[in-house]
Amino acid sequence: MSEEETDVMIGLETHIQLDTETKLFCGCPNEEAEEPNTHVCPTCLGHPGSKPRLNKKVLEHAVKTSQALQCDVNEEVFFSRKTYFYPDLSKDYQITQYEVPVAEDGEVEIKVGDEKKDIGITRLHIEEDPAKTRHKGGDIGNSDYTLVDYNRSGTPLLEIVTEPDFTSPKEARAYLQQLAQMLEYLEIYYPESNFALKSDANISIDGGQRVEVKNITGTAGIEKALSYEISRQKQLKKRGREVSQQTRSYNQNQEITEKLREKETEEDYGYIFDPDLTTQELDEEFREKLRAEIPELPHEKFKRFKEEYGLKDKLVEALVSVPEMADDFERLAEEFDTNLAASWMVGELKKVLNYNEVSYDEVNVESGAPDFLYVGLRVVLSHLEAGEFNQRKAEKYLRDFVEQGLDPEKEFSIDDPKADNIDLGLNLKDYKKSGDDEITEFVKEAIDENPDAVEDYNSGDEEAVNFLVGQVMSISQGKADPKTAREKILEELE
Amino acid sequence: MNLREVVEGEKQVDHEEFLSELKEKNQELNFMREITQESNTGELNGIPFIAKDAICTEDTTTSAGSQILENYQPVFDATVIERLKESGASFYGKTQQDEFGFGTFSTNCAFGTPKNPHDKERVVGGSSGGAGAVVAAMDKPLISLGESTGGSITNPAAYNGVVGITPTYGRVSRYGLVDYANSLDKIGVLARTVYGTAKGLEIIAGEDENDQTTSSKEVPNYSENLDETEGRVAVPKQYLELDGVEEGVMENFQDSIDELKQRGFEVEEVDMPLLSADIAVPAYYVLAMSEASTNLAKMSGMRYGMEKDPEDFEDFNEYFSEVRSEGFGEEAKRRILLGTYTRQAGYRDQYYIKAAKVRTKIINQYKEVFEEFDAVISPSMPNIAPKIEEAEDMSPSEIYAMDTLTVGPNLAGMPMISVPNGKSEGMPTGLHIVGDHFNEQKILDIAYTYTGGDSQ
Ligand SMILES: [Zn+2]
Repeated sequence: MSEEETDVMIGLETHIQLDTETKLFCGCPNEEAEEPNTHVCPTCLGHPGSKPRLNKKVLEHAVKTSQALQCDVNEEVFFSRKTYFYPDLSKDYQITQYEVPVAEDGEVEIKVGDEKKDIGITRLHIEEDPAKTRHKGGDIGNSDYTLVDYNRSGTPLLEIVTEPDFTSPKEARAYLQQLAQMLEYLEIYYPESNFALKSDANISIDGGQRVEVKNITGTAGIEKALSYEISRQKQLKKRGREVSQQTRSYNQNQEITEKLREKETEEDYGYIFDPDLTTQELDEEFREKLRAEIPELPHEKFKRFKEEYGLKDKLVEALVSVPEMADDFERLAEEFDTNLAASWMVGELKKVLNYNEVSYDEVNVESGAPDFLYVGLRVVLSHLEAGEFNQRKAEKYLRDFVEQGLDPEKEFSIDDPKADNIDLGLNLKDYKKSGDDEITEFVKEAIDENPDAVEDYNSGDEEAVNFLVGQVMSISQGKADPKTAREKILEELE
Repeated sequence: MNLREVVEGEKQVDHEEFLSELKEKNQELNFMREITQESNTGELNGIPFIAKDAICTEDTTTSAGSQILENYQPVFDATVIERLKESGASFYGKTQQDEFGFGTFSTNCAFGTPKNPHDKERVVGGSSGGAGAVVAAMDKPLISLGESTGGSITNPAAYNGVVGITPTYGRVSRYGLVDYANSLDKIGVLARTVYGTAKGLEIIAGEDENDQTTSSKEVPNYSENLDETEGRVAVPKQYLELDGVEEGVMENFQDSIDELKQRGFEVEEVDMPLLSADIAVPAYYVLAMSEASTNLAKMSGMRYGMEKDPEDFEDFNEYFSEVRSEGFGEEAKRRILLGTYTRQAGYRDQYYIKAAKVRTKIINQYKEVFEEFDAVISPSMPNIAPKIEEAEDMSPSEIYAMDTLTVGPNLAGMPMISVPNGKSEGMPTGLHIVGDHFNEQKILDIAYTYTGGDSQ
């Protein structure tokens, strides 16, 4: 029986750590530190008398994301205190949004295979991340002692809560992947950074009790955690046992969910308005300004690429998955055959990047030139179209180009990608097919230097041609096209 | 010698003499939590200042009157401390207070009960009791920082016969104030003269990027603008009908009204039904306790203050409970429990949300009155400072009821000043003058006029 046949209901609460310069309520750097407890101040340590002050950048990120998720943005928002005692919480209350979040009632369309589905967004709000705890000698239940590192205390989080609209782990995973991609387009989240995307999931089957699974990291984790939890609940049902209302955690190493606590009643956090933070007005002007900053989103770009370039779904999906790559593709498509450009970017280039374990954006940043890959691709595509590179050489060029990087001493600009004098640190001659005249010279040389082989051929030994072709290849240092060489040799020997 | 003479350079403070008098008086009255001496130079020319123990001072004990923060030394100065130091005022230490500001008499102090300089058997008032007593006890110019949530500057000012100003909420930064109820807390000034409070306030007031609730409105030079004035003042009918106002207090208040009339003021009775004891006081306590219970959560023995050996405990819950049971006084525990209850799901709408609505209505009622009047006046406290054992015998509800005159304007975030208006049974009483938001200059002017201008 497949999962879809059971009445499964899943809702997700996803936390996105924001990669801002400073923390949510203080001026501490929002980044990893070499030592624990170094990026801290009285505010994020919750010292008596310290006060939070809002990092307005976070508000901008939240509003942009809300608009991209088609939510209604609230005009006046404020913060609340959620009180609970836990060693990682510096004030023993967390500043979050309760009554009025940044936004509510949104919708996002996800694609699973060829199926499309709308997922409701309940709300989006801002809150602070607690510190990190490290339980020495075990987990929280049996460790010798616990260390607390407050470097993370006060990192800004966006929390996005969905309706229980998912009916399979696959859908949940697709949603997270598409959400992450959208956030990347909004320049809010970068998959390569240390900033994580974590979800809590609410799962129930056949209208049974709801189980909450906490702390599922990433997009691959969600599918595994949910699959495990659904089969656990099904097994219980099958054996006639009740699924009790519980809070569980996901154990990433063992890929199982584990019981944290039996949930008889909802926890009571005693929310009050945080009187240290003033109400924030998200007026029309502010929202309009941010709306204007929203770029074409992945699903919109997908649709347009399909229409404009007539490429296969798979190619478009791959191009759109990296915003910078999609932009470069559009520039290349102005000069080159779109299919050729797309298949080189998604095929050969991707292979080279994967092999070197770098991303498209990273290569550009590391090279010191934002157009690095774009220019490299232009060289390859222009020489391919002109018939001056063969497939194998073009691949080699691309690989060498990525791996060698740029010589920082040299000027990096080209106007004509086919010009032989462009200097990207590689010698184009090494990659080009040899010209006809050049091959004729090599052929002559091979014949002159190997009279025995010529004699053998004349005596009827046709194998001798292969030897001569080999010689041409060797003299040309592999640049000659063997087929052409054979033709020329035969011409000479007639 | 008064503060104006020092500011204007006619006289100088002898710091050795000041310190020895401070130590001597404190031996007798116990109003200081810690005495220190730190000199600065500048416009204020070494004028001594002292702060309530809830105001953070770098490297000097800041315990907010609680055992749970005994020996706690903050790593930063509160904005008000920083501003006073920069102005050249000299820091002399911290004063006793009710634990976290929870009290009416300063009999809930973890480090001993201060005594009233006018009568050692009597209380100094609360919660900024030490801050009021030190001004009365020292025959020297002095700026004393107090803090008011529901009336904690007015109360000790009246009981000690000094001047105390509580500014508009948001006028003075709360950065570095150990929070009681953040939406109500205000740092203010106690001094011997109206001029002294005006001078102190103009230095500490103004926007602070570390406290988002501070206003960006420009701060007038209150002390230089002080002027004899006249106008219209209102007396809420509800205060005149209030139960438990002592006869001597009421007589002094009637005299104050006559005095104001003589100086050219029109005085009229007004109806302010929301100021009655059964509306304003419960709303105030619900909000104050709800906020306090969240503020005090951070006192758990994890990062500062009282600590225990974790080895002795099963888990962190047990550890936190033990530290909090031992560290908090009785009144603090009472307020944490009540405050946790009033914000709990199921009760929240009935208490916390409702109190917030009452507060908005009280503000509106004041605003209506201030359309016609320059100030609202009343006795500062319904009684003279009680004897220490009388105060200790009162039930919590009796004590809460004594706040009726002060919680209204505090809930509304209005500025207010208490000035001495005579004595009853040999003890000082006070006149309370409440003004419109950010209209500190007006109430200072009325107080200045009432006390006879520059003669004070
Ligand atoms: Zn910080």
